[in-house]
Amino acid sequence: MSSTIASSALRRSQLYRRHIEMGAEFITLGDRVVVSHYGSNQEKQQAQHLGLADLSTLPRAGFKGPGTPDWALGLAMELPVQPNRATLQSDGTLVARLSQSELLLASNLDGLSQCIASATEAQLAESVYSLPRSDSHSWLVLCGSQAATTLAKVCGVDLRAHKFANGEIAQTSIAKINGVIVRNDLGETLSYCIFSDSSSVEFLWDSLLDAMAEFEGAAVGAQALRDCR
Amino acid sequence: MKLLTCPLNGQRNITEFTYGGEYHPMPDHQQATSREWAEHVFFHDNSAGVVIEWWCHSASSYWFLAERNTISDQILRTFPADEIFNQRIDFAAAPEPEPELKPKANGESQ
Repeated sequence: MSSTIASSALRRSQLYRRHIEMGAEFITLGDRVVVSHYGSNQEKQQAQHLGLADLSTLPRAGFKGPGTPDWALGLAMELPVQPNRATLQSDGTLVARLSQSELLLASNLDGLSQCIASATEAQLAESVYSLPRSDSHSWLVLCGSQAATTLAKVCGVDLRAHKFANGEIAQTSIAKINGVIVRNDLGETLSYCIFSDSSSVEFLWDSLLDAMAEFEGAAVGAQALRDCR
Repeated sequence: MKLLTCPLNGQRNITEFTYGGEYHPMPDHQQATSREWAEHVFFHDNSAGVVIEWWCHSASSYWFLAERNTISDQILRTFPADEIFNQRIDFAAAPEPEPELKPKANGESQ
């Protein structure tokens, strides 16, 4: 996989300037550009300890309305039975059920998702409404053995691994920013996806890095997350 | 920190919630007078005692109802809005009233 000149990408993350300042190298995943790594390209160890990655440019989608669960099942999507639970599809797409009738879909770490492609191309059934999430929400990943300890500094919900199982969702306040936290472990590595309003993601990014500093956390690129899988 | 239990998300700090006003049953939209509509939309009873109120969990934009004692500030229970709003309401226009005869202008001959 070759490196990418990020300034030529059609879509840049809201954190693009932060990444440039930190000396990021970029790669193309699917047709999206994300940070591959900062400085060292051996960040796996950092990600396993405490890392923060920005996947905001990768594909996402959302659907809402009383007809949504039946419509999604008709597209061969595997849905969690309970709200505030998430499940991985066979292609690695994360399907988060935010309420009885609302779904958030996020692509796999290769930037590809047959599930999202087929859902966005399919005709919407009655009482199903599209909620585009790519522009409205940012997507950060906080991972590593110290991730729960870090989140305890900025979030009121108990997200420790033995209290908050893999696949559970907390829609809550993180550093005073409303967001959706989905525990989605990368192999053996504890990992939380954080979806929040894109207009305040710079503040959230800085706040999380500040909270991580105490535990020797650092920003990592998508390559480190892929290596942890 | 006060805690409030959201029917969807569970117990959370009160800072995650927004108060949405008193709950009142909606008047019959075809029969209600303008006065009744104004009462429903703009006026609150502000009762001392147990009331039902709208609350929103901001992080998930989830609206629900809470029974609260306004004297003790105790939340008695919270429940999803579809316990009450379980039927679709179509705001069909009221049937047109019978046309009235126009009053005759002053001085018009019989």
